[in-house]
Amino acid sequence: MSELRKKTFVVTRFDPDKDQVPKTQSYEIPVRPDWKVLDALNYIKDEVDSTVSHRWSCRMAVCGSCGMMVNGEPKLTCSTALSDYGDVVEIEPLANFPVIRDLVVELDGFMEKFKSVKPWILRAKEKAPEEGTYRQSPEELDAFKQFSMCINCMLCYAACPVVAQEPDFLGPAAAALGHRYNMDSRDEGAAERNEVFRGDGTVFHCSYANECSEVCPKNVDPAAAINQAKLLAVVDWATSFVVPRGGKK
Amino acid sequence: MAQPAHPQAMTPSRPGRTRTAPPMKPGNWPSSARYRTYLAFDFTGLVYLIAGFVVLRAAWAFGSGPEAWSALLASFAHPVYLAFHLVTLLSVIFVGVRFFRLFPKAQPARIGPAKPPPRPLLHAGLYVAWAGVTLLLVAVLGGIVP
Repeated sequence: MSELRKKTFVVTRFDPDKDQVPKTQSYEIPVRPDWKVLDALNYIKDEVDSTVSHRWSCRMAVCGSCGMMVNGEPKLTCSTALSDYGDVVEIEPLANFPVIRDLVVELDGFMEKFKSVKPWILRAKEKAPEEGTYRQSPEELDAFKQFSMCINCMLCYAACPVVAQEPDFLGPAAAALGHRYNMDSRDEGAAERNEVFRGDGTVFHCSYANECSEVCPKNVDPAAAINQAKLLAVVDWATSFVVPRGGKK
Repeated sequence: MAQPAHPQAMTPSRPGRTRTAPPMKPGNWPSSARYRTYLAFDFTGLVYLIAGFVVLRAAWAFGSGPEAWSALLASFAHPVYLAFHLVTLLSVIFVGVRFFRLFPKAQPARIGPAKPPPRPLLHAGLYVAWAGVTLLLVAVLGGIVP
C-alpha cells in the first residue's frame, strides 16, 4: 500500500436537470503509480461518488469512448498515464461538443458529419458474387491504410480551432474518413464525396493548424488527409470542366 | 479557464431531448506552445498585408520618376523601415519553414496515375528551390545577372 499517493481530481460536473452551467468538483483519492486517468475516474465513480458520469469501454485505446480533456488537452483517458501529471489533474468533457452530463458529450452532431461523407465503398455497379472479390495491391492499400486506423474518438474535434468557430465544418475525422474512401481503389464515389468536401462543410475551412494530428492517439494524421482532400477536390472540380464525367469511363 | 466555443459547434441539426451545456473551447489554448506557433503563423498575414502596401508604394515611386525612386530608397534607410523589413524577413523564413514541413504530407499518394516523389525528397526539394530562387533574386538585384 506504500505505493499509493494522493492526487486531486478536478472534475467537471453538469446535471441538465439541476445546473444552468457546468461546475467543477474536486476529489482527493489515493492512486497507484501505474494507473491511467480512467482508473482514477472509475475509482471515483465506484468508491467516492457514484453520480459522476463518464463514457468508457475497452480500456485499450481501441473503442474511442473515453476521450476527455485532461489538463486542457484532448486525451484517451484509458491510455493516459497519471504519472505524467502532478498532484492536481483537471478532467473536463471533450471541448467543442455540447455536454449531456458531467464528462459525457453529445455525439449526434458528429454522427451527422460522419454520415455526410458516405464512409463506405460506393460502386457505380456492384460485381456479381460469381465474379469474385475486389482485388487490391499492397501499394493501393498503402494509399489509404493510415486513414482507416481512425477509432472515432473525436479528440481531433476537441483540438481543432476551426471546429470551435465554424459549426458547418466537417471536421478532421469525417474528412479523413471520406478521403480514406476516395483513395480506396475499390471505390467509385470520389465525385460524390468531393461535392460534400466543396459544400457547406467544406474542407477548405481547415487552416492547417495541425492540432488534430498532434492529438490523434492512432497517428492517423487527419490534417494530412484534409489537405490531400483539398487538392483532390480542386483537381476533381477542374477536371469536370475539361473531361466529361470528371474523366470517369 | 475554458472559453465558450461557437454555441452551435458540433450540435446536431435537431436538438435531442436532453438539455445540454454549450460547447467550450480548451482553456489552455493561449498558453500552448503549439497553438502560439499557429497564432504567430496567422499573425504573419498582417505583416504581409503591410508589406503589400510598401510594395505598392515602391511601384508608385518607380512610375513617378528617378527622384521619387531615390527618395523611396532613402526612406528605406529609416530605422522603422529597417525593423519592419527584418520582421518581414523573419516572417517569410518562419512561414517557409512551417509550410515546407507540412507541405509533403499534404500530397496525396497519387493524383490519377501521377505519384509525388518520396516525402524527404520533396522536403529537400522545397529548400533547394527556395535557395535557388533566393540566389537568383540576389544575383538579379545585385546586378550580377543583367
